[in-house]
Amino acid sequence: MSDITQKKREQIAQMWNARGKGLISHMELEIEEVSTEGVKVRMPFNPDFCVDREQTLLHGGILTALLDSVFGLANFVAIEGVSTMATLDLRVDYLRPAHSRADIIVRAHCFRQTRHIAFNSGSIWFDGHEDAEIARGSASFALTHGETSMFEAIRKGKAS
Amino acid sequence: MDLQTVNANVSRVPFFRFLNFEVQSLDNLHAAAEMTFESRHIGNPVMEYYHGGIIASLMEAIAAIAVRPDFAEAPAKPINLTVDYLRPAVKGPLYACANVTRKGKRIASVSVISWQTAREKPIAEGLYHFLLV
Repeated sequence: MSDITQKKREQIAQMWNARGKGLISHMELEIEEVSTEGVKVRMPFNPDFCVDREQTLLHGGILTALLDSVFGLANFVAIEGVSTMATLDLRVDYLRPAHSRADIIVRAHCFRQTRHIAFNSGSIWFDGHEDAEIARGSASFALTHGETSMFEAIRKGKAS
Repeated sequence: MDLQTVNANVSRVPFFRFLNFEVQSLDNLHAAAEMTFESRHIGNPVMEYYHGGIIASLMEAIAAIAVRPDFAEAPAKPINLTVDYLRPAVKGPLYACANVTRKGKRIASVSVISWQTAREKPIAEGLYHFLLV
């Protein structure tokens, strides 16, 4: 059940590589684990995302953006035939100040899917400090299904 | 706190430069900003929609400024947020207006709305909590 096909893996890689522009490419995310049970993604430290002059404290907004992105990936992996998804709502709790220059690790999964809606939850911590979560989030997404996935559309450079 | 000083402080925050916004109005418990569209803000590269996380980030930034316009000294600490996404945000400027619904000794609640063409057609609405101690 947790194994995903080679075809899907290739699609995932394509999807992330296709995002040559935009926030996701700017975050330089690296997929560490991917299965229908959930995904684990690494974001390298980036001084652009800090609020202080010393550049050691991340702004909460980037953690929110990271959760939103990784939920999207988790849904794409877990849900068969998803064509488009739009975030309906998002809740994030900032559990600790994000004070470090370590890489960030995010784990997220889709814990329930229906034809129209996906429900997600996820956690963020600094690499090596899984016991000290810095943020936790949950979200719901509106889904559409179809032959052409949005990632196919990205590859072809057309709108889905 | 005058707008010029606030915007000078905004320009010193790396992440605020990444967002690229300007505070346009500021009075007691209200703040409004305009964000300039950048390709690094894109979430959906096919449609060139803003990333939801960038919209939430702008709303969090302006909410914090509404609570503490002198954020350069001691910024309000974000506790949590909820955002409702109502419409996709397309290429172009994005506006956000924050209204502090309650400011106590320790906690503040801030309601934020963001829009593009008209305030009556909001892109997203958010509720943000901050710790003031």
